[in-house]
Amino acid sequence: MSNNGNDSASSSFIPALEVRDLRKSFGNVSVLEGISLSVREGEVISVIGPSGSGKSTLARCICRLEEIDGGEVLLYGDRIDNGKHSNRDIARLVGMIFQQFNLFPHLSVLENIILSPVRILGNSPKAAEDKAMSLLERVGLCEKKSARPNELSGGQRQRVAIARALAMNPKIMLFDEPTSALDPELVGEVLDVIADLAQSGMTMMIITHEMLFAKEVSDRVLFMDGGKILEQGPPDSIFTSPQVPRTQLFLQRMLAHVGKELVQAHSDERTWTHDA
Amino acid sequence: MTLDFSAITPYLHMLLRGAVITIQASSLSLLCGSILGILVGAIRVSPFAPLRALAAGYIYVIRGTPLLIQLFLIYFGLPSLGLNLPAFTAGVIGLTINSSGYVGEIVRGGIEAVPKGQWEASKVLGLSYVHTMRFIILPQAIRNMLPAIGNEFVTLIKESSLLSTLAITELTMVGQQVRSVTYASFETFIMVGIIYLVMTSITSLALQYIEKRWTVD
Ligand SMILES: Nc1ncnc2c1ncn2[C@@H]1O[C@H](COP(=O)(O)OP(=O)(O)OP(=O)(O)O)[C@@H](O)[C@H]1O
Ligand SMILES: [Mg+2]
Repeated sequence: MSNNGNDSASSSFIPALEVRDLRKSFGNVSVLEGISLSVREGEVISVIGPSGSGKSTLARCICRLEEIDGGEVLLYGDRIDNGKHSNRDIARLVGMIFQQFNLFPHLSVLENIILSPVRILGNSPKAAEDKAMSLLERVGLCEKKSARPNELSGGQRQRVAIARALAMNPKIMLFDEPTSALDPELVGEVLDVIADLAQSGMTMMIITHEMLFAKEVSDRVLFMDGGKILEQGPPDSIFTSPQVPRTQLFLQRMLAHVGKELVQAHSDERTWTHDA
Repeated sequence: MTLDFSAITPYLHMLLRGAVITIQASSLSLLCGSILGILVGAIRVSPFAPLRALAAGYIYVIRGTPLLIQLFLIYFGLPSLGLNLPAFTAGVIGLTINSSGYVGEIVRGGIEAVPKGQWEASKVLGLSYVHTMRFIILPQAIRNMLPAIGNEFVTLIKESSLLSTLAITELTMVGQQVRSVTYASFETFIMVGIIYLVMTSITSLALQYIEKRWTVD
């Protein structure tokens, strides 16, 4: 895995993702209260925090599913929050994975994957299919290319969704609780795919409640609460010696059921798999 | 009294010719009404509020006024604006506009029944609004809509009998002519009813078949 995240260390490079004082309200409810963060190219950050803390909203503001009320979002130094970018422009930079997969149910797996490359990027169907097949191989689902989403398990659907997002060649991938809708026995296969992607150098932001996974796979962990980032740092220090009381409380609750496993986890083993 | 269909058998071919006009008028109106209706429905859910309001108003007026009045407005009303339409054309335009209002409402419902996540996935994959509608939303919405659309088709075939008021020689009009010659009112209109029933049944069956095939694959 790449070295630990440290904002100042890469000051000579343009960050892949930069968020400055991001504010977002729904009606008069303020959901994001000045989020600032910077993600280096190739860095993997995990975002943890209680329900309603604004994690999804943060990801949705970055991929422009939500309009922001204040602050800036920059991808490779380019402001994308000023309405000057088409959906296509954003899609080439950011891929988003949803908790509910959101595959297109009326299209086959292959059609799901090639739709955008063909229609939006203007790739030839042949080239798009070749690319799609190599992505399906990467997520281990070649034999499912003609299946409809409703013929797949949840884990398979999420792997297809990942392949579909990667087909656009995004520079950054956002994951919003990619395994929260899955039966426990299917979580591992999806986390494996995400871990491989992290290994390959993709810049990623992963919102997750899978604490073991976050610890293993990320370079940096952010703890959000009440629309603010309360604490961030390398996973080892966040998980073993959180400084902020709210982080401590949150982790105590989250880790109640995994207990000592976390401390014993070895980084060379995939300890997040649930099939113990 | 006894029914004596022999009195109307010499006129059966006239009734069937009327039925052909009914089929022509209804299928033309169905086709144009569906296309217009899908457009109205798509505008009804568009992100642009003034357009949305316009489509909502259109649907509101059409569903809130009798088809007969709509037909009269087009056939008898438009000439006062200098627009004289042949009866058949006026009838088809009236039926088209009328069914587009109903289809538009069905389309709106069908589109809104597609989960929000489909829009979001399309957007993050770079699809524009029009692309999303065309490739993602409408194919799913049409599937949701098929039963209601089938009802609308059947309704339209039946309501096309109002074209008789514009003196178009469709089935109902011909029925009236046959009755006035034979005085066999009961037999004539039973026969007319049967012919309508055959047309609506075939339409229903065809739509059920399409619905089944569409949902299987
Ligand atoms: N479209 C919306 N309209 C109104 N309120 C919203 C909307 N989306 C989110 N919210 C509110 O914003 C707050 C933050 O929501 P968000 O989904 O970002 O939280 P989260 O950290 O992702 O929570 P979870 O862990 O449950 O997914 C919540 O109070 C939520 O009710
Ligand atoms: Mg969330």
